[in-house]
Amino acid sequence: MTDQVSPPVVRRSLLVRICHWINLIAVGYLLVSGVHIFLDFPELYLGKTGFRGYPAVFRLEDIGISWDQAGQWGDRRWGRNYHFTFAWVFVLNGLVYVTWSLYRRHFRAMLPGTKPPVSRAITDDAASVAAAHRYRTPQGIAYLTMIFFVTPLMFLTGLAQMPAFTAIAPWLIDMFGGRQTARTIHMIATVAVVGFALVHVGQVIATGFFSNMRGMITGRLRTREE
Amino acid sequence: MADDTTPSPIFTRRRFLGSAAGLSGLVLAGCDVADMGDLTPPTKRGGLVGIADKLTMASQRLLMAHQPLVQEHDPRDIVQDFPTWGQTNPRDEEYQRLLAGEFDEWRLEVGGLVNAPVSISLPQLQSMKRRTQITAHICEQGWSAIAEWTGTPLMDVLAAAGGLKPEARFVAVSSFDGWYECYDLFDVVHPQTILAYGLNGRDLPRGNGAPVRLRVERHCGYKQLKFVKSIEAVATVEEVGRGNGGINADWGFHWYAGA
Repeated sequence: MTDQVSPPVVRRSLLVRICHWINLIAVGYLLVSGVHIFLDFPELYLGKTGFRGYPAVFRLEDIGISWDQAGQWGDRRWGRNYHFTFAWVFVLNGLVYVTWSLYRRHFRAMLPGTKPPVSRAITDDAASVAAAHRYRTPQGIAYLTMIFFVTPLMFLTGLAQMPAFTAIAPWLIDMFGGRQTARTIHMIATVAVVGFALVHVGQVIATGFFSNMRGMITGRLRTREE
Repeated sequence: MADDTTPSPIFTRRRFLGSAAGLSGLVLAGCDVADMGDLTPPTKRGGLVGIADKLTMASQRLLMAHQPLVQEHDPRDIVQDFPTWGQTNPRDEEYQRLLAGEFDEWRLEVGGLVNAPVSISLPQLQSMKRRTQITAHICEQGWSAIAEWTGTPLMDVLAAAGGLKPEARFVAVSSFDGWYECYDLFDVVHPQTILAYGLNGRDLPRGNGAPVRLRVERHCGYKQLKFVKSIEAVATVEEVGRGNGGINADWGFHWYAGA
């Protein structure tokens, strides 16, 4: 095996890089605005009905944050305006990314058991290279789950809460077992997205923050010939 | 009372288009944009928020071109202790006087760009065509509750006022708690858009907007005005409130509340 480290070359398309940073902005706004909306009504229910006083599955009050306190933190007007704005940005940007990636067969490399066409060592450190290989499969599964399961789930549970959209597709409500269940799943999926984002950022830092940032900004990655 | 079985010509044509589109399934082909009304909100907001406003309303309205009904639930799903939220007892002097008199003197003023402005008493409203629907009230805050609403289709109330003049584009509803909202004809002609006087088989309680509240089922709760006082057909929303299409839009919330 030769172990020549090449000079950085452009290995990540401009489109993927643009989509990545737009996605970061969109997800950031969706998260913050979503929290604002939730704080204005900080209880979760199951089924078709749920309101203050109805049996809840989660209440912010139970973890020591009073309804009034949450209401002071949450600005639902700002939250709703930006949640629905960045939902469009997120969905349209995501469609561009997924379409492009399917066309470029980008997702195939994330499937378990596939060998990458070129090993992309993130650092020159041999141990890191080995670690990168070891975590490829779980990482690939994590990304595919986010893109093809959690994201559509977020989208559909969001639509299931909309009065007009459920007139168009009433089966959405039944699919999730009620509007309130859809809202609760929307929140659980939010926690999954936050968890994913934290691990993702942790990995970016752990495997060489500056070279990773260069990779996602300029597209230039070092490659190692195998 | 005017003959409510003979709708004005504008409604006849719209009704025909609505049912024809629903039957044929050729929703988009059968419904040109003129019959849909505006696909974008009358509230013009700038920036990305404004673009999203337009995308949301246009996409949802195109998908609703066949005027679908919202899901009507089983009586088992009805919540007996339907929550009261927001204003439950308007301080308005006139309202308090009418409340004390059990709304005997309440009159719904129907005016503006209608052919024959009329004032309708509660018994008159209750004697008109009746529609009962078990639907979910969906608050923009996130809560929802299912109830049975009984009322008169808004279309029939407007027909009782001689129908809309051709230049009428919106119907503005005002309430005793100082709220006002404009609804475009796409929502006005919808069969589930009713002026409700009954909740779960009883008279509408004060906390839920007695004597009459509006149900516009394809919108969030804040468009479902309580304590209805008058309705007025208008050509533009500019003459209503601060001109954004309703009190919620004046406050910076979405005018189009399909979400």
